[in-house]
Amino acid sequence: LAYMSILEYNGGAVLAMVGKNCVAIASDTRFGIQHQTVSTDFSKVFRITDKTFVGFPGLASDTQTMLNKLKFRIKLYSLDEDREMEPKIVSNLLQTLLYEKRFGPFFVEPVVAGLDKNNKPFISAMDLIGAPLLAEDFVLSGTASEAMYGMCETLYRPDLEPEDLFEVVSQCLLSSVNRDALSGWGAVVHVITADGITSRVLKGRQ
Amino acid sequence: RRPQRKYFAMARRYDSRTTIFSPEGRLYQVEYAMESISNSGSAIGILSKEGIILATEKKVISKLLDTGAVGCRREKMYKLDDHVACAVAGLTADANILINKARLAAQQYLFTYQESMPVEQLVRRLCDVKQGYTQFGGMRPFGVSFLYAGWDEENGYQLYHSDPSGNYAGWKAHAIGANHQQAQNILNQDYKDDETFGLREAMKLALKVLMKTMDSTSLTSDKVEMSAVKYDAESQQVYFSYVTEEELEPLVSEVNEEGKAKDSTS
Repeated sequence: LAYMSILEYNGGAVLAMVGKNCVAIASDTRFGIQHQTVSTDFSKVFRITDKTFVGFPGLASDTQTMLNKLKFRIKLYSLDEDREMEPKIVSNLLQTLLYEKRFGPFFVEPVVAGLDKNNKPFISAMDLIGAPLLAEDFVLSGTASEAMYGMCETLYRPDLEPEDLFEVVSQCLLSSVNRDALSGWGAVVHVITADGITSRVLKGRQ
Repeated sequence: RRPQRKYFAMARRYDSRTTIFSPEGRLYQVEYAMESISNSGSAIGILSKEGIILATEKKVISKLLDTGAVGCRREKMYKLDDHVACAVAGLTADANILINKARLAAQQYLFTYQESMPVEQLVRRLCDVKQGYTQFGGMRPFGVSFLYAGWDEENGYQLYHSDPSGNYAGWKAHAIGANHQQAQNILNQDYKDDETFGLREAMKLALKVLMKTMDSTSLTSDKVEMSAVKYDAESQQVYFSYVTEEELEPLVSEVNEEGKAKDSTS
């Protein structure tokens, strides 16, 4: 089969949104090889520090590799500086890691979401060579991005409470991936607040 | 006829310089490095079935010291990875170099094998570096001894000691730094390799040893830094934590009491 881009080989979608003193990050859970679905519990979002998550939609192999590279660097940072890496710094580090492979990049377009040390929400996204996007409202990435942009622009409003944020993020993600052949087969949503993290698994259209 | 005499006399001029054997087969630089460590603050490591205790004597105590700054909080004990920590005796600056190498090695192993680096392998990696400085390059050896405390799935709790020569060995209890010979003797007598010897007993033994070997007459909790490496079977994670002053206080009092009681009876 032919495909437009290697970023569409496995499929996947990740979305992050800012609420009132909280952030939510969500991904679908499909792992496929082109048209064939292989697994339905492959989340692309990972917790890398106490209050920071990163999502790596794109080529699944690079999802795993970037995660391992990032965990490597974060561990060394926390041993050296004796503190946790803030989400903004995680984002900066990712940008560097990606640009290092400028002429042979990792095929992931990461999304970072977390609370900084003062529990202020932070989200960012970047392209596969590390060009950043810092937003106050929402960021997204993946094969269902056009639909997600439409949904988020429509449903988003600032200062959503954690429970409402969960609903909005879930609807945006689910509706978008339902129209995308390469994403879906379930979803997982993490809501991060100063008190802790609530993770929920969604069942979508099969 | 003794023609070798002149040859030996000439060789002596060079053999204390770098990494060359002396006529008696000694490496003077390595020995001098160990000598330098014997003058630094002591560090004790004790293995128990509930975990490993590392205790160190705080040499630099001044109220001008900014305890908030990162460098000052860690003079003797360092975490190398989630499952291994070490205590240092000797030149702190030399130790920092090796600690960075160890941390990097542990992460590289974790990245490659997706599994924590076994404690002995980490020790060996550092020791191989130290050995290199005794054989080539013409640079002086590292003036540091380490006590490594860690846990891995294959071998459980382990305590290792390495010295400037690059030699290492596993121990149930070991002391390095100032008065280590005296400390080692006390550990020899009082260490119990049985079921009754838990974490608390290990902590008290460490304090008792430090009490005997430190310059001060009675032990106070601000002169001692203590940490524990513990594996929790439920969460399947290793925890490295510093023993707080509040936790140390009662143990220090107990050890002081027992010391006085013993002194009065003997």
